[in-house]
Amino acid sequence: MIEVRELTKRHGGTTAVDHLSFVVRPGTVTGFLGPNGAGKTTTMRVLLGLGGATSGEALVNGGRYTELRRPMREVGALLDASAVHGGRRAFDHLGWLARSNGIGTRRVTQVLEQVGLAGVARKRIGGFSLGMRQRLGIAAALLGDPGVLVFDEPVNGLDPDGVRWIRELMRSLAAGGRTVLISSHLMSEMELTADRLVIIGRGRLIADTSVRELADRFRRGVLVRSPRPADLTAVLAAAGGGVESAPGGALSVTGLDVTAIGDAAAAHGIPLHEVTPHSASLEEAYMELTAGSAEFGAVTP
Amino acid sequence: MTDALAAEWWKLRSVRSTYWVLSVTALFTGFVLLLAFQMAHVWDGLAADRRDELLLRPLQELAGWGASLCLGILGVLSVTSEYRTGMIRTSLTALPGRRTLLLAKSTVIGAVALAAGEAVTIGSFLGTRLIVGDRPFPDQRASIAHDLPGFVLAGTVVPVFALLGLAFGVLLRSTAGSIVSVVFAWHVLPLLACHLPGPWNARIGSVMPGALPREMAGLSAENSVYGDLLSPGAAAAVLVAYVLVPLGFAAFLLTRRDV
Repeated sequence: MIEVRELTKRHGGTTAVDHLSFVVRPGTVTGFLGPNGAGKTTTMRVLLGLGGATSGEALVNGGRYTELRRPMREVGALLDASAVHGGRRAFDHLGWLARSNGIGTRRVTQVLEQVGLAGVARKRIGGFSLGMRQRLGIAAALLGDPGVLVFDEPVNGLDPDGVRWIRELMRSLAAGGRTVLISSHLMSEMELTADRLVIIGRGRLIADTSVRELADRFRRGVLVRSPRPADLTAVLAAAGGGVESAPGGALSVTGLDVTAIGDAAAAHGIPLHEVTPHSASLEEAYMELTAGSAEFGAVTP
Repeated sequence: MTDALAAEWWKLRSVRSTYWVLSVTALFTGFVLLLAFQMAHVWDGLAADRRDELLLRPLQELAGWGASLCLGILGVLSVTSEYRTGMIRTSLTALPGRRTLLLAKSTVIGAVALAAGEAVTIGSFLGTRLIVGDRPFPDQRASIAHDLPGFVLAGTVVPVFALLGLAFGVLLRSTAGSIVSVVFAWHVLPLLACHLPGPWNARIGSVMPGALPREMAGLSAENSVYGDLLSPGAAAAVLVAYVLVPLGFAAFLLTRRDV
């Protein structure tokens, strides 16, 4: 469980995170979304005790990260996969990490196998591709078999196979009852991976919602064009639809699907020139939410 | 703390730069021993009245002087390599206690530097004595047991430079800046101090880190850029301060700074 409460972080004159509050619960994958520079990484760094909060707090399992005695056993984190010493061998990198938290070397071998790096365990990290480094970073996060996992942009720079592997790993970790928080600036990726979404822009909360709720919120209904819009409006309203006029003399209908609209129009002999189901993709919803995100207050789902 | 020490020890021995630095130190010491053969050869060719001017001690001290720079650089790299790669964040995520991390790193670097320093200073003393054999150099007439403590004390300045480098690394976070700072403390400042008008040349020269081993051993600073105004106890205190004060500043900044 991760709780961020009224977190504010200022660097000099700029406010990176502004009174941000959200909760990440166990058993779900929570996507932490926002455009570049929205404050995702800053929030994660404060959560992991790497930066101090200006005000507010970020708690892991009810306490501060810096007060955990062997933090890797409770929280696994991948912040920046390229932040490794290129001259060190993969086994040694995980080895010192494991040792720092009293974890045995057998576990190192185990996670290297789990992420598919067992074959290059004795190779220097300098020769690793970005995808291999991401896997190594994930192996490091998994070392202590923690209940809370925090990943900053884990799919950046991965090939499709790697992306799918991470997606399945995240889902299986959440299915095992763990708390999983993944940041991303790609809605298309989170749509496939996450159950819940925390969307921020310019350091403020824009939406804290489930993927399904967000999709419903941005359902646009069906666009209908007819030479007799007034008659059609009455008919569709009688059939239980919500009708609004759309630009260009068209009607935007909600609450009725394409079949119901067609049947109702036919029953009353009203000609239809166009019937187009129209729903915003999550990507569009996200773009709309984050466009000029400073003007948006928090939206309660 | 045990976990932190073991992790830092693992870090230090799993990168090549450690072995490079220690190899250069060993090579430098080897070269000093080769020069001792040359000295013995020169001795043999000198007329008896000129032999009294041929000193071996400056050569014997050269190895520890070189080791100070090498291990100082190791101290710098142990920190700045983490800042350069961003691995410092991984380190502090694994060990959120920043003072613990700094203490563990300092202990490991200090211990390695002390071991290297003693090996180099004792090794060069015994090695050069062995090489010149029974040639009675004017500054080598005392017994090995009599001169050895001075060289053991000389070895203690090597971890001082290593920890100074480590502290500079934390304070500056830049490899280049920290190495330049170590080189200044190691040789440039003593040279500057040496050219100050008296009595300041001796006063400042006495508190340079390189001056302290001789002062701790109660030896004079002749034939060097240093001064010798401090008593052995005072010199030892200054030596300890060279470790504790910069590390104290480093701890202060490290615990307050975002990474």
